[in-house]
Amino acid sequence: MTGLREKVEGGKRAGGRIRIMLPLGTAGAWLRRAGVSGQILSLIIVIAIFAIGTRGRFLSPANLQVILSLAAIPTIIAVGVHQVVVLGGIDLSVEGVVALCVVFVGLLLRNKFNANDVGLWILPITLGLGGVAGFVSGICNTKLRIPSFIGTLGMSWILWGLAVFVSRGQTVALLDTRFQELVTGTVFGIPLIALIALALVVFLQIIQDRTRFGRYLYAIGGDEVLARQAGVNVTRIKIVVFTLAGFFYGLAALFLSTRLGSSQAITGNNLLFPAVTAVAVGGVALTGGIGGAKNAALGALIVTALNDGLILLNVNPYAQEAVNGVVLVAAVALTIDRRKLGFIK
Amino acid sequence: MRRILVTTAIVLLSLACVTSLFATGGQEQKGPTTLAISIRTLSNPYQNNYKVGAEAFGKSVGLPVDVLTTEANSQKGITDIKAEVAKTGGNVVFFIDPNEETDDVAIAKILDQAGVYFLTWWNKPADVKVWNFKHWVAHVSFDGIAAGYFTGTELFKSFRTPNKGKVFAIQGLLANTPAAERFQGLQKALAENTGVELVQWVAGDWDRTKAYNQTREMLIAHPDIDGVWCANDDMAMGAIQALKEAGLAGKVLVTGTDGIPELFDAIKAGTAAATVMNDAKYQTGLGLAMSLAAKQGKLDVAAQPQKYRQFEIPAVNVNKANVDQIVHDYLDSTPNYDFSNFFAKWSVAIP
Repeated sequence: MTGLREKVEGGKRAGGRIRIMLPLGTAGAWLRRAGVSGQILSLIIVIAIFAIGTRGRFLSPANLQVILSLAAIPTIIAVGVHQVVVLGGIDLSVEGVVALCVVFVGLLLRNKFNANDVGLWILPITLGLGGVAGFVSGICNTKLRIPSFIGTLGMSWILWGLAVFVSRGQTVALLDTRFQELVTGTVFGIPLIALIALALVVFLQIIQDRTRFGRYLYAIGGDEVLARQAGVNVTRIKIVVFTLAGFFYGLAALFLSTRLGSSQAITGNNLLFPAVTAVAVGGVALTGGIGGAKNAALGALIVTALNDGLILLNVNPYAQEAVNGVVLVAAVALTIDRRKLGFIK
Repeated sequence: MRRILVTTAIVLLSLACVTSLFATGGQEQKGPTTLAISIRTLSNPYQNNYKVGAEAFGKSVGLPVDVLTTEANSQKGITDIKAEVAKTGGNVVFFIDPNEETDDVAIAKILDQAGVYFLTWWNKPADVKVWNFKHWVAHVSFDGIAAGYFTGTELFKSFRTPNKGKVFAIQGLLANTPAAERFQGLQKALAENTGVELVQWVAGDWDRTKAYNQTREMLIAHPDIDGVWCANDDMAMGAIQALKEAGLAGKVLVTGTDGIPELFDAIKAGTAAATVMNDAKYQTGLGLAMSLAAKQGKLDVAAQPQKYRQFEIPAVNVNKANVDQIVHDYLDSTPNYDFSNFFAKWSVAIP
């Protein structure tokens, strides 16, 4: 059990490869211990470059508000994905789950298409749909022993197909405004949706740091066989993690359709790659066992700030993808602690 | 062993359930000619209308319709076409909206070899000529430059000071023929309206969420913007939503292209200036009618002049003045299309 504890503690202390030499004192030491020193450094570099390039406009309160607002939904999705990655797996079902949940949000909330209006019940319904999808992915992975890469990819296609089938390819305009305040409102100038995302990150980070569930999560990600031998119920933990991820995707779907004021299956498109990018940039090792919710959130923030900065700098769209790629590689080089990785595939 | 059996049983059962859920009735290998359409997706209203148009045409001629979707995957699109040819024993004609223009040659070779007539829409490399393939009936497209020009000029008119101000453009996919043509149209409009400045353009990849994000960011870079030009309606709706949040909807207008119902509503509400409706129902009807006529020997493909093998037809321009009429004619009802003259709407040859 001592070996397991060491592995768990070792896994949780991600980062540390880049030593911040600035006179941060105890703050620097805390950042290193928390495993986010590289991520903070990346964020500072991104901010500094764009702040200089845009002559301060990047740091204007209005732009910071936009960045926080736009980073919220990718954060919620990335936080869902990262737990599966910490387990040593991958969740590719994001787009399918979001597509189906978005379609149901459109058809069940007050809309221009039918007479339905489930009101606030949409929250448990959407979370439930996402959760069930995640649960099934977990069952496929643990009971049917299908690798998460294939199982969740298949799940994504199934749910995407269902979403298109149910929606008949139509876009449903939402008339319900009850959730509008959540995605557009601010508290002391901070977007409410960003505060919700932050609360979820803090909640999950506490679970990862302070509970037995969190310790088991890292133990499985570090060495599943060892964790199983130590008595960890690997199957149960995995199913819970996939289900939790589904909850997060369901919530993101509700916010997405509310933000756009409409619902269509295609809303689920183009969400997976940014989420996985955020997870990688945040320093969550794709080999498992390293990184936490705070890493995923910081990754999402860095990616969003990068996209925002490229637009403010008016970088040629033909070159934006290339710039994105360079920054992605650089950010991962800064944030991943390769000493803790036994091998690089 | 038991696990393998259980897994196999579950997979087979799932397959049976899913198949029966989505099945639209099996087709005989021999018998009536199948009308097949290969399109990108069924998940947006414009593409979905391809299916509606194909089914309407199929009903009018009493033939079955098969719908294939590429889901933006070129390889899937090509494989599905091969499978459809095998399934029907070659007794099929196609309407194809290729995922990418580079798919055309592979598709043309497969169908030419199988002796299957087909018509493509939108995407085709300029150096690939339809007349080099015996069974490629025609390549048709809407005039993308005209669409971009119309929406651009309508947008400029909506400025606080008409034809004077700043515009921001959201392109579609960068390596996409219609996206490039529409953007050329915008640039033509800009060249004629020297009082209008294109302050910035970005690639929105046809994605509503991306367009929403980009518009919010653009409003930081250019808070004094006068209009947002978008290469399609979905992105235009994303831009409108971002403008709403900034309290600028109705003051800063948006344009799109495609003609989705939401954008018609936006024109009526005064948050959008114009769109161009590509009549997807007519597209599939014309494509299938021409391919079927070729198969039945009623259209001699080889004898057609080149201008009838590669050509454009005009789309429907929509603005505040005619939006109600367009909704009445095309959404509330389906026009009675006349496919007896395939070239009735011919506007210009594609070189």
